[in-house]
Amino acid sequence: MAVARMHDVTKRYGDFAALSGVSLGLAENRIHGLLGRNGAGKTTIMQILTGQNFATTGQVEVFGEHPYENERVLRNVCFIKEAQRYPDIFSVRHAFAAARLLYPNWDQEFAEQLTAEFDLPVKRNVKKLSRGQLSAVGVIIGLAARAPLTFFDEPYLGLDAVARHTFYDRLLADYAEHPRTIVLSTHLIDEVADLIEHVVVVDHGRVLLDEDADLLRSRAVTVSGPTQAVEAFAHGYTELHRERMGGFLRVTLEGAEPDHETDSLQFEPVSLQELVVRTTQQAGGQELVGTANGKGGHR
Amino acid sequence: MSLVWRVVRIQFVNWLMALGFPVLILALAFLGNVGVFAVISDVAPPEGRITGGMVSIYLTLLIAHLQTMTQFFPFALGLSVTRRVFFAATSMFILGQALLYSVLLYGMRLIEEATNGWGLHVRFFGLPFMETSNPVLQLLVYLVPFLFLSFLGVYTGIVLKRWGAFGVWTLWIGIAAAAIALAVLATWRGWWPAVGRFFTEQSAFSLFAGYPFILAVLLAGLGYLTLRRATA
Repeated sequence: MAVARMHDVTKRYGDFAALSGVSLGLAENRIHGLLGRNGAGKTTIMQILTGQNFATTGQVEVFGEHPYENERVLRNVCFIKEAQRYPDIFSVRHAFAAARLLYPNWDQEFAEQLTAEFDLPVKRNVKKLSRGQLSAVGVIIGLAARAPLTFFDEPYLGLDAVARHTFYDRLLADYAEHPRTIVLSTHLIDEVADLIEHVVVVDHGRVLLDEDADLLRSRAVTVSGPTQAVEAFAHGYTELHRERMGGFLRVTLEGAEPDHETDSLQFEPVSLQELVVRTTQQAGGQELVGTANGKGGHR
Repeated sequence: MSLVWRVVRIQFVNWLMALGFPVLILALAFLGNVGVFAVISDVAPPEGRITGGMVSIYLTLLIAHLQTMTQFFPFALGLSVTRRVFFAATSMFILGQALLYSVLLYGMRLIEEATNGWGLHVRFFGLPFMETSNPVLQLLVYLVPFLFLSFLGVYTGIVLKRWGAFGVWTLWIGIAAAAIALAVLATWRGWWPAVGRFFTEQSAFSLFAGYPFILAVLLAGLGYLTLRRATA
């Protein structure tokens, strides 16, 4: 069941189309990865789904209703964004007190436990927090609010690797105990690959992929070996990527199954990150496909 | 507890700053003024010891509510509060603040009268042109300007959120241009004596409570309509 959906949504700022014809659905009690490059339209999608921004055209539905100025819908929605502002007169505990007043499922004990884990000084004014500490405030609110629909928009800015993994671990553990719909917008795809159950890839305001993560992973495979053997195998498949080194060829193919009867070919699974990168590059005009070392051609 | 009330509580979750800061500014202005009059008491005639220092708390609220829109609104919207609820909560907060501070000002005025101007014939709270005939009207004379300036701050903040600094400049330059145009018109048609008569003939109540109330309501209504399409 979809708790939120967008149908043919377009968002224009003058001549610039931030979103063009975006349709997607968020399934109940799943972790979605909203992936894409900077400026792809990820934040705009989440802003429109939370009623904070307006679609130019198209339909938006969250919990069966339009989210704009809709109290019933928004009480069940939490949107943690990278650039969340806090009032200058707030210290960390004020921000948590505010969240506690607003989110019906708020778990104070969990918030305190997370505060200790992130080593956050609760009495410090928000203006005096480091970038990472400020991100931790958002992450804690997003987790402890336990909103049935929770968006995290690149919530990790300034968090070190240890703190980021604390976030991923707590998210996963709490999600197991309190299932809810989570959208994780990020470009650290490798880090969240194990978390994500459903993948939505956007680029230039369009949805490129909207698929189950496992299905997606099994959809492509990387084949390497002597050029001729690989060419023979690759024939007929959609090629996502190609790297050549002397007489050796390595291609990423969509829809291909590993063929274990051929000794000369090596098959490797494709990581989620690689898949997303290749798909995005392909949509961007295939400029990398066929280059000699796979490193040329920046948009 | 209704949602509006919970959002009101968010605005004074740091109540010491939210409610105390304007009082602190007023206290500083008061002490500064009384201090100056104490020093110059031998040269300033008792009937001339009038000061406009009370305006400090009113201007503090103007700025504070500009920040309500630039700081609390994005925060609240980020925490899934609707614009409608936020505006209702802000209006309630403004009303409560205005009531609290006007009672404070009125109380200080009574003390000022009882102590013969803090023993120095200083008139800080009881300004002669703000005299009315009864306590209720007197309270409103203190209260309504708070509403007007608070909603002016809110409206300026909303314009800033929707159209940026350019919008605020346009708004204020527009107001200034309109005021200049009216002044030129009044000079050209020789209306100044009539304008002067208008202000002297009006009661303190209509000058400080009546007209500002109409303006406050207009600003509040306009503010809500503008906020409907504002983004964080």
